[in-house]
Amino acid sequence: VVCSVLHATRQLHTTQQSLAPLPPLPEKGGEVRHGLIPEEFFQFLYPKTGVTGPYMLGTGLVLYLLSKEIYVVNHETVASACILGVIIYGIKRFGPDVAAFADKLNEEKVAKALAVKNEAIESLQTAIEEEKKEQWRVEGRSYLFDAKRNNVAMLLEANYRERLMMVYNEVKKRLDYQVAMQTLKKQKEQDYMIQWVEKNVIQSITPQQQKESIAKCILDLKALSKGAHAAV
Amino acid sequence: MAGRRAALKAVDWAAFAERVPPNQRAMYNALKTRSDALTARLAALPEKPPAIDWAFYKANVAKAGMVDEFQKKFSALKVPEPVDTQTAKIDAQEKEAAKSTAEYVQASKARIAQYEQQLQKLKNMIPFEQMTFEDLHEAFPETKLDKEKYPYWPHKPIADL
Repeated sequence: VVCSVLHATRQLHTTQQSLAPLPPLPEKGGEVRHGLIPEEFFQFLYPKTGVTGPYMLGTGLVLYLLSKEIYVVNHETVASACILGVIIYGIKRFGPDVAAFADKLNEEKVAKALAVKNEAIESLQTAIEEEKKEQWRVEGRSYLFDAKRNNVAMLLEANYRERLMMVYNEVKKRLDYQVAMQTLKKQKEQDYMIQWVEKNVIQSITPQQQKESIAKCILDLKALSKGAHAAV
Repeated sequence: MAGRRAALKAVDWAAFAERVPPNQRAMYNALKTRSDALTARLAALPEKPPAIDWAFYKANVAKAGMVDEFQKKFSALKVPEPVDTQTAKIDAQEKEAAKSTAEYVQASKARIAQYEQQLQKLKNMIPFEQMTFEDLHEAFPETKLDKEKYPYWPHKPIADL
């Protein structure tokens, strides 16, 4: 039987001042012997009368009351005996279960509060993280402006180069046109000249010349064919 | 600085992309595509146009003096550089941004200090098992029942139970 602290040592709230933090509640309730009599009573009598002291006191008292008829035995005695028995049986049998149930109720309340507190702590920590991250992000704003300035510079440069190219192309086009015109003209003149010369030559061939040239051709062919015959 | 050669500062797109918050991704992508398009366009153009072969044209073009005239005018021609109107605006924007950033960072730091304070308070709280109701109301003022506004039990509107 474990000896528990006398509850008198737990402080009472006699003033308005808060006594937080209170010491935690003891693990077990006050010990009772035989379901009804607190252990403290037995401990109180132990130094003087030993282990059997309280029992002797109890027995002696009961015998004294009965024999002197200070307590009269009547119907109610039986009733009280039965009731006491039932009470003691109930306490012994159901005590721990009821205690566990009550403890669970309390536990749940405390657990809920604890959950709320933990959630609050976590959300605060994430909020701090987020803020730090945002600060880090903000430091990168120089990239944006560099990119913008680059864009502007590139645009200007591209524009300038395009203009140079345009000038060059236009001038070249015009010069090339002149050269092309000239070559075309020369070519046309050449073609026409050739045509004209051919026309004139054909015109100048008289019928007499034609007959002579055909006769010559036939003679040449005969000679050639004789030569070929001989070769074969 | 009216120099043609405004130096192009190398932009670290990867680091830039890291710092873009997710709700501004679209703007970042648009900027990047525009930048890339401009770079491509710039790279496609040669720095100087090729030189015109005046000797060839002088030998081949019959019209007297035409080539000489062209050459004279061509070398005398100055192509105007495009005027830069936007850089000043960009610099002004940057200054604005620097200012508003400083403000935001300050506000953010104040917020962090607040959060830290609350965090400390919560961490140093006594465990619930050792609290009385009064201690609870001190730690979480919202749990305190307003006995003046609702003098009768349960001291809060029925809907809140």
